[in-house]
Amino acid sequence: MVRFPFTHPEPEEPLLAARGITKRFPGVLALHRVDLDVKAGEIHAVLGQNGAGKTTLMNILFGLLQPDEGQLYFRGQRVHFRSPHDALAMGISMVHQTRKLVSAHSVLENILLGHPGTRGFLNLRTIRREVEELCHRYGFTVDLGAKVWQLSEGEKQWVEILKALYGGAKILILDEPTSVLTPPEVKTLMASLQALVQDHGVTVILVTHKLPIVTAISHTVTVLRSGTVVARLRTCEATEQLLVQHMIGQDISSYSISDLLVEKGRPLLRVEHLSAYNDKGVLSLRGVTFSLHEGEILGIAGVTGNGQEELVQVLAGLRPPASGRVLFDGRDVTWLSPLDRWRMGIGYIPAERYEIASVATLTLVENAALNFHFDPLFSRRGLFNHPGLEKVTRHILSHYRVKAPHLYAQARHLSGGNLQKLIVGRVLARKPKLLIAHLPTQGLDVEATAFLRGKLLEAKAGGAAVLLISEDLDEILSLSDWVAPIYEGRFVAILPREGADAETVGAMMAGLRREEAGVS
Amino acid sequence: MRIGRYELTLEARPTRPALHTALTAFPAILLALALSSFLFLPAETGFLSAYRAVFSYAFANPYGLQATIHRAIFLWLCTFAFLVPMRAGLWNIGLPGQVYVGALAAFAVPYALRMSELSHPPFHPGLIILLMVVGASLAGAALAGFAGILRAKLHVNEILVTMMLNSILFWLVAYMIKEGGPFMSATGEGESFNLPPSLYAPLIRGVPFTALLALVAAGLLDFLFVKTTLGYRIRVFGLNPAAARYAGINPVAISLLVFLLGGAFAGLAGYHYFAAVPGVYKIPGNYGFYGDLAFYGIICGLIARGTALGAVPIALLFAGLSLGARFAQGQFHLPFGVDYALLGLLMMTFVASHFLYQFRIVWRPVATEEVPRVSAGIPER
Repeated sequence: MVRFPFTHPEPEEPLLAARGITKRFPGVLALHRVDLDVKAGEIHAVLGQNGAGKTTLMNILFGLLQPDEGQLYFRGQRVHFRSPHDALAMGISMVHQTRKLVSAHSVLENILLGHPGTRGFLNLRTIRREVEELCHRYGFTVDLGAKVWQLSEGEKQWVEILKALYGGAKILILDEPTSVLTPPEVKTLMASLQALVQDHGVTVILVTHKLPIVTAISHTVTVLRSGTVVARLRTCEATEQLLVQHMIGQDISSYSISDLLVEKGRPLLRVEHLSAYNDKGVLSLRGVTFSLHEGEILGIAGVTGNGQEELVQVLAGLRPPASGRVLFDGRDVTWLSPLDRWRMGIGYIPAERYEIASVATLTLVENAALNFHFDPLFSRRGLFNHPGLEKVTRHILSHYRVKAPHLYAQARHLSGGNLQKLIVGRVLARKPKLLIAHLPTQGLDVEATAFLRGKLLEAKAGGAAVLLISEDLDEILSLSDWVAPIYEGRFVAILPREGADAETVGAMMAGLRREEAGVS
Repeated sequence: MRIGRYELTLEARPTRPALHTALTAFPAILLALALSSFLFLPAETGFLSAYRAVFSYAFANPYGLQATIHRAIFLWLCTFAFLVPMRAGLWNIGLPGQVYVGALAAFAVPYALRMSELSHPPFHPGLIILLMVVGASLAGAALAGFAGILRAKLHVNEILVTMMLNSILFWLVAYMIKEGGPFMSATGEGESFNLPPSLYAPLIRGVPFTALLALVAAGLLDFLFVKTTLGYRIRVFGLNPAAARYAGINPVAISLLVFLLGGAFAGLAGYHYFAAVPGVYKIPGNYGFYGDLAFYGIICGLIARGTALGAVPIALLFAGLSLGARFAQGQFHLPFGVDYALLGLLMMTFVASHFLYQFRIVWRPVATEEVPRVSAGIPER
């Protein structure tokens, strides 16, 4: 076990403290005995990958969720938040990842919405004066008369922060505040947060997975991984590289490289200079080139939002590429429909189990049919072959150890792990030649994770080429034949597994090039 | 919600068989009738006799029953026109427009053949009737398909498009049948020409053959959704479009197809009311009333929750009560709008029964948990 560099707590008493917070969701341990100390007047960064438990922890601090175990302390007193109402009363306010504004209303109207002083009659003139004073004090320039729909994402965020401050917030929780901002907006935000903290004594808890922001403005950083705190550091003592390693894990001892001897087959997939735009119109996949043989696993390692999502979607036919091409089995498939790709033997396990890979209110049989409805075996003359589908579903449930009440239970009644087993089983039951697995084990418990990793190796042994996209470096390094760290839409390198160690790959995930990362 | 030491919460009930769902309809109907007794209080002879009048006119009186059946057939077809796109998560609000265009297409056939009221058909009238039916369906399908194409290809909101088409078609009918319009009747009374008797739709035991079409369609639609691959794809697309795309289901094809199919039913409904109901056989001046009536298809479709066979009794009830209440209104000098109020109550109790079927309201004491305010001191890590 590696020792984490915990700094000794300073004698000064924390403003907000959490002790031994544990939170379980069905099938998932979201937080496990988490301690957190936030001191008055600091910017405290909470860092972690998607699914590390950051947002859950913040929701507990804000009273949206109640912990299963553990306590919260405010100014040294034990507190119990039954709802955000209790947290707001103590001056704790949260700016969520998604905007919660009324877009047809003006900025001023949004700011006073929900303010305790606005019951009954509105004295807009007094409120406007108060808000203007507040803007002046904190150095904000927001047009209070503008309608919210006219504002940029950055300005909307201002309105939310202003709203929190007008509501008397002393502790601001910002959940991924930069995820929708442009670089100049990020700069402004960082400068203003620093001003808020230094000049006005506001305390900020900043939840993010963006390293540069953490190192630039935070005073203290707590790193979460898989629901546990893995490091507490003063930012001045941390480097981006060190933080990446905490985020992704470097527990070398846990590597269990199962050396299934698989003979490398013929080349199956060739991707050439592939680029794609994300939903906001930013070129976020920027010229990726690689090839993959049968019986090989290529692990793409990266921090969320570096182009992995776009790469996967382009390969699955769900997002048009901006340039480049994809050759599969010697055929140009760049513009093929998703259906044709399924038919050709490309199997795709999306990261979004609930949103994309399943339909909550359909039965397990119908969910299994998502990958079979076009197959002549299961659809004869337009009629569904129900017995055949039942048989396949039963096979998946037993071979993938899905705990389900019965074949015709609705998918929403399955836990996350069992649903994922059903999805993986369904895709693998097609015996795909190419398997694209995006975050296949994210948020799952140890048993399900180990089981599904074994299934990926089995698929490889069966001759499938596997593209594994994961944020968990342990997973990448224990399964892959090739490791490709991705940063800002480009592969930093493609390393053979023997040449890839956690430190090198971690450094590359933080954007360091080959030479800088110490690879010749 | 929390009141004192008690807490009022909604809990989802476990899913139950579809038959149970159907059975909840009965208390809903009874409740609506009980509530509507207030509406009948002004009746001179008491509300019980008002009820008797409503039901006996709608379901026992030979004239009333006939009108109920004709209206029910119309509602069935309109319900299917709404229900098919709804299973794909799309809203066909264009029922009136599709009804109008179906009627126009049906009447365009004899018009094109230059058949006046008395002339002999140029070829077998059965063939002309078939042409009218097919024409009406195709026209309805084309109009709805227009909205479907816009939705599928350009992501234009189908609700807005179908609503605007309603307005356009309303005035197109006015142009066609009113002063100087091509379909104007010889007497020029703001109606279309009468169909020649040879083109009256065949009756089966006094009921237009469209009833048979509608009932067969109901069975086929439920078969489509339960047993076929296409029905499965439509349902997946309706419940989760992202999952449908992932599974290789073509969103453009599904959006277009459901609107084509839905529009065909609405067009057929237009044919039914204006060319198959005995005693009508023309597009009357108050055609707008029938257009508004088409909207009840939306309500029946929603109450039946997407099952075509389930919509059959519901639409029959709506047809009967709307006619019976209108009759009772005249009979007992009740205030204007009693029929609409009754249908409105029925809608509300149906919706409430669905809600109470899926959720239950629980009233339970809150676990008393004292909030410790004493300085406890933060435990060391």
